[in-house]
Amino acid sequence: MEGRYPDRVLPYVLVAPSVIIVLLFLLIPSGEALWQSLSRINPFSGQATFLGIRNFVVLLASEEYRHSAGVSVVFTAATVVLSLSTALAMALLANQRLHGIGIYRVALIWPYALSPAVAGTIWALLFEPSTGVVTYLLRETVGVAPNWMMSGRLALLVVVVAAAWKLLGYNVVFFLAGLQAVPEELTEAAAVDGAPPWRRFWAVTFPLLSPVTFFLLITNSLYAFFEVFGLIDVLTQGGPARATDVLVYKLYRDGFVSINWGLASAQSVLLFVLVAALTIFQFRYAGRRVFYS
Amino acid sequence: MRWRCAAVMLVAVLALALVGPVRAQGPVKITLWHAMGGARYEAITKGIAEGFNRAYPNYTLEPLFTGSYAETLTKGIAAIRAGNPPHIVQVYEVGTQTMIDSGAIIPVTDMVKPGEINFAEYIDPILKYYTVRGKLYSMPFNSSTAILYYNKDVFRRAGLDPERPPQTFDELEQMGRQIIRSGAARGAVTFGWPAWIFEQMFAYHNKAYANNENGRAGRATKVLFDQPFGVYLASRWAAWAKEGLLIYGGREYAPNRAFLAGEVAMLMQSTSQVSTIQQGAKFAVGTAFLPRIPGQPRGKSVIGGASLWVLKGRGRSQAELDAIVAFFKYLNQAAQTAQWHKDTGYFPATQSAVKLLEAEGWFTKNPNFLTAFRQIQVGPDTGATRGVLLGNFVQIRDITDTMLERIFSGRMTPAEAVRVSAEEANKVLEEYNQTYK
Amino acid sequence: MPLRRAALPAVPVRRALGVVLLHLALIAAALVVVFPVYYAATVSTHTFQEVFSYPPRLAPGDALWANYVAAWRKVGMGRLLLNSTGISLAVSLGKIVLSVLAAFAFTYFRDFRAKGLFFMLILITHMLPLPVRIVPTYQLMERLGWINTYAALTVPFFASATGTLLFRQFFLTIPPSLSEAARIDGAGPLRFLGQILLPLSWNNLAALFMVEFVYMWNQYLWPLIVTTSNDMRVVQIGIKMLVATDAQAEWNVIMAGVMMAMLPPLVVLLILQRSFVRSISLGQEK
Repeated sequence: MEGRYPDRVLPYVLVAPSVIIVLLFLLIPSGEALWQSLSRINPFSGQATFLGIRNFVVLLASEEYRHSAGVSVVFTAATVVLSLSTALAMALLANQRLHGIGIYRVALIWPYALSPAVAGTIWALLFEPSTGVVTYLLRETVGVAPNWMMSGRLALLVVVVAAAWKLLGYNVVFFLAGLQAVPEELTEAAAVDGAPPWRRFWAVTFPLLSPVTFFLLITNSLYAFFEVFGLIDVLTQGGPARATDVLVYKLYRDGFVSINWGLASAQSVLLFVLVAALTIFQFRYAGRRVFYS
Repeated sequence: MRWRCAAVMLVAVLALALVGPVRAQGPVKITLWHAMGGARYEAITKGIAEGFNRAYPNYTLEPLFTGSYAETLTKGIAAIRAGNPPHIVQVYEVGTQTMIDSGAIIPVTDMVKPGEINFAEYIDPILKYYTVRGKLYSMPFNSSTAILYYNKDVFRRAGLDPERPPQTFDELEQMGRQIIRSGAARGAVTFGWPAWIFEQMFAYHNKAYANNENGRAGRATKVLFDQPFGVYLASRWAAWAKEGLLIYGGREYAPNRAFLAGEVAMLMQSTSQVSTIQQGAKFAVGTAFLPRIPGQPRGKSVIGGASLWVLKGRGRSQAELDAIVAFFKYLNQAAQTAQWHKDTGYFPATQSAVKLLEAEGWFTKNPNFLTAFRQIQVGPDTGATRGVLLGNFVQIRDITDTMLERIFSGRMTPAEAVRVSAEEANKVLEEYNQTYK
Repeated sequence: MPLRRAALPAVPVRRALGVVLLHLALIAAALVVVFPVYYAATVSTHTFQEVFSYPPRLAPGDALWANYVAAWRKVGMGRLLLNSTGISLAVSLGKIVLSVLAAFAFTYFRDFRAKGLFFMLILITHMLPLPVRIVPTYQLMERLGWINTYAALTVPFFASATGTLLFRQFFLTIPPSLSEAARIDGAGPLRFLGQILLPLSWNNLAALFMVEFVYMWNQYLWPLIVTTSNDMRVVQIGIKMLVATDAQAEWNVIMAGVMMAMLPPLVVLLILQRSFVRSISLGQEK
C-alpha cells in the first residue's frame, strides 16, 4: 500500500496508551458495574453479597424509578425539540448572505462554552420568583407570577429552557455547516420551478440536512440524559417533589448519597442499555459514511 | 581499662533508654471531623479545640471541617472503608442507627470508665436519644430541638398581642388568618427542615413514628406515619397550604429567608438558629413552644442536632483512647458546655451548665434561648418521645420531605402521599435490615 | 375607469426591506442567546438591594469590584480557577496526544491489522459514558488512593473516541503521495507525523483542543464525587457552593462567580471557533 510504513511494533506502541486507558478506566469498571448490579454491598466493609437480579426487579417495580425514567424522557424530548427547532431557525437566518453575518454567527455560537451549571444558574436568575426578568414579563403581560421552587411543572420548564438554550450554540454550528453544504443549484432550481421558500426548504433543504439533524438528535439526547447533571444539582436537586429527578440524578443519589452501590450499578446497567441502543442506531445510520469515507 | 569501657557503655545504654521513649513521645494527636461551618467553626476551633489543647498539653485535638452533615458522614464512611478513619466524627442524629450498625464504632459506655464522667448530669432527653438498650453510643455535643419563632412586629400590626403566640393548631389558624387579612404578612407560617417538623409532631403528641418502640426496642421494620395520626397531620397541613396560611420555603434552613424578610409571620425551626435569626431580623423576634393539636395526647419535642462518635482504628494506642476520653471530660465541664451554648444556641447539655448560665443571668437577658430548653423538660419519657431510630434515615427523610412537597404543591392528596411515602420508606427499611443482618 | 392597484415597490426597496427584516430577525435571535448572559453580567455589578428592585434593573451598577471580591473570597475562586485550568489543559493536551498517536497508528501502517481494534475502541468509548461505570470507577479511585488528587480528575479522561475518529478521517484525506514521498526520503513514521502531518492538522488540533477544553472545564459530576476538600475543587462546584446558601440568595455575588467561571472557556471558544467551524464544515463535505 502506498505511503504506509512497514513498522510492526510501533503502531502497537502508539495505540497502547489509548487502549490501556480504555481498558482500565472504561472497560473494566463497566464490567464491575455489571457484577455489582447483581450484588448488595456494605458501605462500611465493602463486602458484596450476591443477589441475582433482585436489584433490577426492585428498580423496575419501584414507582420512584419509573417516575424518574418518565421525567428523563419528557425532559429529553422537550429539550431536544425546543433546541433543535430554534437552532434550525437561527441557522437558516445565519445562512443568509448579509453584511456582518460573521458577527451574528459568533453571537449565536457562544452558549457552547457555558456549562450546564452556569446556564442553569443564569436562568434561575431570570425566573427568580419575585424579581426575575421572565417573572416580571409574565406578571405584566399575563398576570401570573410563577414560583418554580414550588411548582414541579414549572421547575421542569425552567430546566428544559436552560438546557435547550445552552445547546443552541452547538446545534447552530452544526446546522449552519449542514446548510452551507447544501448545493445552491438545487434550491435555485426549485425556485425557478416556482416553489415558494417554504416548499423549497421542506422538499430540498431539509432532507439534505437529515444526516446532521439525526446526528444532533442523538447527541442532544445523550446530552439531555447525562450531561445536565450539573444543572439539576445546582438548581433543584431533583425536586421539588422529585419533579426534575432525572435518571442520572437518581443514580447519583442512590450511589453517592445513600451509598447503595448495588442499586446504583443496576441503574448504570439500564442506562447502558439505553446508550447502546442510541449508539448502535446512530452508527447504523451514519456509520457507513463515517468509516469508509 | 575494661571497667571504664563498661561504665561508658552502661551510661550510654541508660541514656538511650531514658532519652529514647521521651523523644518518641510528642503530644498524642486525635482528629475530629465535623460539620460546624459559619459562626460555629470559630466556636469549635478556637473555643473548644484550643481550650482543650491548653488544658491538656499532652494531647492535641485537631478539628477538621469536612462539609455538611451529609458530606461529613459520607467522608467518614469512606475513611472507614479505606482503613484510616479519624478518631472522632460528628454525625447528625439521622445517622445514629447507621453508625450503631456499622461495626466501626466504640460506644461511649465502653470507652468511659464508670464514674469518669457524670452522665446523670446530662439533660435527660439528650442522653436518652443516644442511649439504646442501656448503652450510650455517642457523646452528646450539639443538640437542638424545634421551636416556634414569630415576628412580634407583625403580630402587633395585625392587632394581636405580641406576647401571646399561638399555643395550638387552632389558635395558629385563627391568628394566621387575622394576620393575612390585616396585610401584616403574606403568609402565616413556614417550616424549616419540614420532614423533621413532621417527625416532631409525632413525638410532641406521644405517637410512635416507627414500630418496635420507635426502633429502640429492636430495629424498626415499618414506619407508622401512615397511621391515622399521620394522615390527619398531613391533611391539616395540606389545608393550611391550600388556604395560603402555610408557605412552603424549601428544605433545611432555606425557609429562614421568608421569615426574615417578613413575608411569613411564624417559623418552626431549630433552636440552633436563635442567634442567626435574632441577628438577621429587622424586627422583634419572639419564641414559643411548638403549637399542639388539642385532643391529642401530650408528648415532648425531640432532640435534633448531632453527636460525636468514636471510630475504631487500626493500631489505636491506649494513649489515644485516653486522649479521647479526656476530650469528652473536657466537653462535659460546665464552663465549656455553657460557652458552646452561648456561641451557637445549641443546648447547654448539663445541669451544672444550666445553673452556671442562670447564675450569670444569661437566660434573663436572652429569653429566646430558654424556650427550647423549657420545652424539652415537659412531657413523658416514652419510646415515642425519645426520638425515632431508622436505618437509612437520610433516605427516609428525603422521602418524607418529598411527600410534604407533593402535598403542599397539591400534586397528591395527603392520604395518597402518605401512603405512597410509607411504602417507599418501608422498602428502604427492608433493604437496610438486609444489609446489616 | 377601475382604480389601478399600486404597483409593487421597486426591486431595490424590496430588497432593502428584506435586509432590514433579516437584520431584525438576526438581532432577535442573537438577543435570545445573548440577553440572559448580559443580564447576568449586569446583576453581577448590582448591590444586593438593586438585585431585588422591581421592575428588574437592566443597567449596570457600581458594585462590580465588591461583588467579584466577595465571590472570590467566599469560595476561594483563585484556587478553583487554577484547578479547572490545570485539569482542562492537561486533559485537552493528553487527549490530543493520545488520539493523534492512535489515529496515526490506524492509518499509516501497512501491516497493522487493526480495523477491529479501531471499531472496538470507538464503539466502547461511545457506549460507556461516565454514568454507566461511575460507581466502580469511583471505587477504583479509592483503591488507587487517587481520591482528591489531580490524577483522579484527569487520567480517566485521556482516551478520546472523537479525537481518534477525527484525526483518522483527516489523515485519510491526505494524499498518500505525501507519506510516500516522505518514506522515500528516508523519514521515519514519527518524523513524518511531527514534521508534515501535524502542521497540516492545525485546524483539527485547534478544534479538538477547544472542544475538549470546554468539555473538561464544564465537568461537574466527576469532580463532585472525586474531590473532597476545597483546595482540590473546580470552578463548577464553586458555583454550587455560591448558590447553596441558607440565607437569602445573593444573586449579585453569585453572578460575579458565574462570570468568572464562564470566562476562560468562552475566551478559548472565541479564539478557536473558526477552526472548529471549519473542521465541521470540511467534515460535512464528505
